Amino acid sequence: MSVAHPAEVHAHPEMNFLSKYFFSQDHKVIGIQFLFTSLIFLVVGGGLALLVRVQLAWPHAEIPLLSWMFQDNGGRMPESFYNMLFSMHASVMIFFVIIPVLAGAFGNFTIPLMIGAKDMAFPVLNMLSYWFMWPAFVLILSSFFVEGGGPAAGWTSYPTLSSVAMPAGEGLQSPAAPNSGHGQVLWLLALTFVGISSMLGSVNYITTIINMRAPGMTLYRMPMTIWAMFITAILQAFALPVLTVALILQTLDKTIGTTFFLPDGLTFGNWITGPGGGQTLLWQHLFWFYSHPAVYIMILPSMGMVSDIISTFARRPLFGYRAMIYSIAGIAGLGFIVWGHHMFQSGMDPRLGTGFMIATIMIALPSAIKVFNWLGTIFHGNIQYTAAMLFALGFVALFIIGGLSGIFMAATPVDIFIHDTYFIVAHIHYVLFTSSIFGIFAGIYYWFPKMFARQMNEFWGRVHFGLTFVLANCVFFPMHILGVGGLRRRIPDITASPREAAFMPLNQFITISALVLGAVQIIFVINFFYSLFRGKPAGRNPWNSNTLEWSAPSPPPHGNFETVPIVFRGPYEYVEVEGHGDHLPQTLKLEGPAPTAGH
Amino acid sequence: MGKWWSILFGVTMIACTLLFVVSPFVGWWLPEGVSTHSWSVDLLFYFILGITGFFFILTEALMCIFMYRYCSSEKAGRTVAHAPGFFVRTYNKWTPPAIKGSIAKVLNDPHKIEMAWTVLPAVILLWIAFAQVDAWAVIKYQSRMPRYAEKNQEFTPLQIDVTARQWEWRIRYPSSERFVEWMTRKGDPEILKDFQSFAKIEQKDDVKLVNELHVWNHHPAVLQLSTRDVIHSFNLPHMRVKQDSLPGKQIPVWFTPIKHNTIRLSADGDVWIDGYNPDTKAQDRNQIWDLSCAELCGWGHYRMVGRLYVHESQQDFLDWLKSVEAKMLPPRAK
Ligand SMILES: [Cu+2]
Repeated sequence: MSVAHPAEVHAHPEMNFLSKYFFSQDHKVIGIQFLFTSLIFLVVGGGLALLVRVQLAWPHAEIPLLSWMFQDNGGRMPESFYNMLFSMHASVMIFFVIIPVLAGAFGNFTIPLMIGAKDMAFPVLNMLSYWFMWPAFVLILSSFFVEGGGPAAGWTSYPTLSSVAMPAGEGLQSPAAPNSGHGQVLWLLALTFVGISSMLGSVNYITTIINMRAPGMTLYRMPMTIWAMFITAILQAFALPVLTVALILQTLDKTIGTTFFLPDGLTFGNWITGPGGGQTLLWQHLFWFYSHPAVYIMILPSMGMVSDIISTFARRPLFGYRAMIYSIAGIAGLGFIVWGHHMFQSGMDPRLGTGFMIATIMIALPSAIKVFNWLGTIFHGNIQYTAAMLFALGFVALFIIGGLSGIFMAATPVDIFIHDTYFIVAHIHYVLFTSSIFGIFAGIYYWFPKMFARQMNEFWGRVHFGLTFVLANCVFFPMHILGVGGLRRRIPDITASPREAAFMPLNQFITISALVLGAVQIIFVINFFYSLFRGKPAGRNPWNSNTLEWSAPSPPPHGNFETVPIVFRGPYEYVEVEGHGDHLPQTLKLEGPAPTAGH
Repeated sequence: MGKWWSILFGVTMIACTLLFVVSPFVGWWLPEGVSTHSWSVDLLFYFILGITGFFFILTEALMCIFMYRYCSSEKAGRTVAHAPGFFVRTYNKWTPPAIKGSIAKVLNDPHKIEMAWTVLPAVILLWIAFAQVDAWAVIKYQSRMPRYAEKNQEFTPLQIDVTARQWEWRIRYPSSERFVEWMTRKGDPEILKDFQSFAKIEQKDDVKLVNELHVWNHHPAVLQLSTRDVIHSFNLPHMRVKQDSLPGKQIPVWFTPIKHNTIRLSADGDVWIDGYNPDTKAQDRNQIWDLSCAELCGWGHYRMVGRLYVHESQQDFLDWLKSVEAKMLPPRAK
């Protein structure tokens, strides 16, 4: 359907294998590199989660497969090992899976294709953003094997548990958590590298989206995926420096004995720390100033992708396109002033808590608008239940739960009770697993034909969805009940308190469901790799979608489009017009004058 | 085939809802609330549960209905150029059947629908937010906490020092003598000074215990919370109290119990036991009240669990305090 336009000469020199697949500057290859490494880390993070669950359900049993590691402890898992497991599970999932997949893989792959650009604005910077992940990979994985094992102070790494170090000359051991001395330092350095990578990426995304759009691609003709990536990149760019500073300060506390986070005279065994003058709350403020926006960095791109997928497969225009954009912007804007809701019980002045509470509760409003608009989109649609659409609908259904449960903890008095219980664990997993990860699965099923020119098997894709949807609810929904019952999080053995021990049956049910949920993902892995080589060949536009990437060949060559696409309409015109089927691609010209350059 | 998916969604969501309905009946629910805070915290909890439950059921039901009703008859992935004209004709100009008048006017205009579903949740959310403010202030604001009684009709709260360390709660009470002075002499500047110095300066005759927090019923207790090493979180789930302790800081926490769980085994013995239920006059596992640490504080975090003992009366508490004093070694010179 693309409009005749003078062909542009693409001067892309021939490349050898190394520069084509390893040190590539092609945004699509970089995106796929991010995708593969993140999926490997997804397996690591998932494995850690399953070990956590096994310990929780059978706290006094020998751990299968790993008992050889715990011979001093009768084959049972030591508490410090458990603390390391959940700390690393969260760190890996957040910094090595969700953020790199959404921004790194999907951001890279979709942005130039969906705005009709040949590549990113800064291809070398883009390549570097991937290769700066490698020091992070090496550091975080080596932390498992250093003396004392991986970091065990939680992914939040609150001082002084994480940061206090022995007096100079006694190595990096930590007197507070002896098992997270060296591991904690490696963790801090790894996250710093992830931050550098994300920062390079976001500068590139912002520039590309502002400057490189195809003629006719006005801001309000950009698909929601691009809007979400754009706003996410801005969030990253403003929030990340604060985390980077915090990471460096804690590294200094840990290695050369500064006391940014260390108050005076604490007692660890028979060692009393010297003058400090630092503040533990300072870390919490800096950390959450980044890490709360990070929650939106981890959900907004999924929301954007889900919006495009739902509109495509409902064969309906996205309901309230502008409202969707404004609500993403609203979430991002409010997202900067709500970090304190992680600190209601932290000893922060409770009057601040009141302000943070009101801002936090109001952030539910743009989220609610998005849910209503997704419902409005499928209303009177012509829904095609592809695997991608099912994961997108699953996202909406379960994001509702994650969004509503957030109101409980935003309400300060209720938070007093549910803070640091499994209610929080349930909430974050409804947001990050059944929303962010569901969005990622939807995106993979949706763009796989564009990435690899083959389609994934739809039947097994739907089986994968059906089982994942049911089992994810079996795993995470009962955690709300545990939380309402007051079960504390981050404890390896719930029988330490007789009251908490009453939740054992529910814990075992969750663990069994989690093990099955983990096993079910093998369907996806096999489908992914089988389809990579044997999948049904996909044409340019297997889903009859409107957006620009589907007008490029599959897979798009280096340089993406044969001719520069010209955009004549918005991305969501799924409407029957005589002679044009049920949808109008963005490059389709119907009548009226050709638009002038779009920027 | 497509309709099957809406049924899967519906059944899963109904199962989730049922779990919430059934759990309270098998004891998987809020522990009994036994302080003056628990009334307001629980009320707000149920208030939010009601509102979110309503919107949960509403949105999930709409979703399942739409998924069922608007399922394509076409095979996925194929062009639907010849899909039934009905779906296409209604593009952007849907007229709801059977709804007339002003509601239809709103429903016919996407902008009005959007306004409606923006303003309505905004009002509800603001209402939820402002409903919390006072309860939060009463529980946490230092300006609202009970203090040394200036007038005769006021009550001086019981003051206790709680110091967390890896992995136990160290609890320090005033001596019985000092305690009696606090409770009986009101509006006395000398006592006020002594009362305020308690948390800052340890004295030789202070009564110190580990992991045993004793208070008595219907009387406010103010705990001065601090830590010697890392962040801990002082958690009394039955009292709806939770407060992190911060290295280098002292943070006051207060509550007033409304039920007791501790009795003296024999009238003049020196053994007190908890787990007593005054309603049934019997021992009851649910009347053992945890004092646990809720913030990760190292490998022993999970077992940093103590007990809360609520005595029936001030006299019973005083008897207990004296009995602990008597056992303290070495015997103090009086
Ligand atoms: Cu603790």
